[in-house]
Amino acid sequence: MPEVSPAAGDSPAAGESPPAGEGLRILVVEDEVLIALELECLLEDLGHVSVGVASASAEAIALGQRTAPDVALVDIHLIDGPTGIEVARALSADPRTTVVFMTANAKRIPPDFAGAVGVIAKPYSERTVASALDYVARCRSGQSGDVPSGETLDGFCLAPRAG
Amino acid sequence: MTGFPTEATAFPPGFTVEVFAAAFEASPTPMVVTDPRRDDNPIVWANGAFLGLTGYGRDELYGHNCRRLQGPATDRTTLNRLREAIGQGRAFECELLNYRKDGTPFWNGMTVNPVRDAAGEILYFFSAQADMTDKHRLEAAMRDANGALEREVGERTADLRFALEQKTALLHEVDHRVKNNLQVISSLMLLKARRTPQGEARDALQAMADRIGALSTAHRMLYQEGDAARFEFREFADDLIADLAAAHGPGSAHGPCAARVESEMEPLALPAAMAAPLALLLHELAGNALRHAFPRERAGRVRVSARRSGESLELAIEDDGIGLTAGPPNPTGFGRMLVEMVVRQLRGTIAWSEAEPGTRVAIRVPLPADGLR
Repeated sequence: MPEVSPAAGDSPAAGESPPAGEGLRILVVEDEVLIALELECLLEDLGHVSVGVASASAEAIALGQRTAPDVALVDIHLIDGPTGIEVARALSADPRTTVVFMTANAKRIPPDFAGAVGVIAKPYSERTVASALDYVARCRSGQSGDVPSGETLDGFCLAPRAG
Repeated sequence: MTGFPTEATAFPPGFTVEVFAAAFEASPTPMVVTDPRRDDNPIVWANGAFLGLTGYGRDELYGHNCRRLQGPATDRTTLNRLREAIGQGRAFECELLNYRKDGTPFWNGMTVNPVRDAAGEILYFFSAQADMTDKHRLEAAMRDANGALEREVGERTADLRFALEQKTALLHEVDHRVKNNLQVISSLMLLKARRTPQGEARDALQAMADRIGALSTAHRMLYQEGDAARFEFREFADDLIADLAAAHGPGSAHGPCAARVESEMEPLALPAAMAAPLALLLHELAGNALRHAFPRERAGRVRVSARRSGESLELAIEDDGIGLTAGPPNPTGFGRMLVEMVVRQLRGTIAWSEAEPGTRVAIRVPLPADGLR
């Protein structure tokens, strides 16, 4: 019988302190301003810091190279078309940045995930965003993720592991 | 007529070799005889039908090998097999492309067999023939017709596949737009909630955002697998319940709740049209239990179960909280109204009862006959 306890401390959506020590510095690549704005509020609530919002690919790549964020949340459809894939490829080239897709169009993601570690399906819940970022934070701090590759975590799906 | 097998030469009186010659000459079947004992196995006799078929006169054939009838498109492999059979004194059947005197080709269906004397020595080869050109033309026509048919089927299949691809692309596009719009609506509500002072208005905005969240979960689960007409209820309900549990955890907008949520679901593939109403229903009832049944951090559990019973889906949401009568009267009753409307839309029934302790809500929704699998 699956059991979920809202009182348990493992629910990062409700966490009062930032997950895994310091909050993450996050770049939001999203062309819908309302979604971007709300997402920034949510990230702040979760104890993370937004380094900025980009709505087109060139802007996203430039902002990513200037700020070297810990995480980039990348939508696939941007103002200049389905260019989120190349944004992910460019940003993930910097080992300091972990890329996570955030899209309602997961079918467009190439098999190699363009260097991203996973995808958050839109429409997402706050809990999904929180647990995905918590997972990324744990991976970045050297703790191995406890989720096998390719598994779905309620709207967060990991990229198939390379190699 | 000596030297031939005796039973083969026991003719009735008056049945002379001239009678044979006349019969063979008059036969409509083209016939030819060659003499392998002479150099290059030349033709030594042919009947009128053979002359008619080939267009040659007797003087042009006698003394010549049958290769006179061959031409550029005559099949070499068949020829080699024919020569090998003749060399070994065996009978042989084949169809060979031959050429008339005027150069027109024809398909020559022939049987060739040796003629032996009583000692078994081969004296001649006898061949009867038939013009198979019409048969070959028919075969070729059928091959063409089949080819044309296959091409047509191929083209039509390609058309259908293209139409299907277009339709699938359209479905994905619409699906993508619906999901994106739900995200925008949800963000809009949450943004306004964040900018609204604590109180009734903010709670209402948050509650609506949560309902949109529940609808979003329904849409996220749809069209995930190959079957666009169905969704897996258990996965979707577990997802909804996890969202609810997180939304009522410590520090959440709704304030902490010490109750836990349990679920017991059968795997059920349900029609896609039922996803949104069921999402609202579960969200409302389980959320309501978490919000109202456990005041002042009262501990307990909310149990959600779903199973198929005959042609119906049976859903139960039970809690061991303070019960219906003990709870604060709901000022608007909007949640309950929503639940009853959705149940009516699903043509189902709902029963609220005191579970002592707590509340039990039992819902029965009829499933379409093919929704049971």
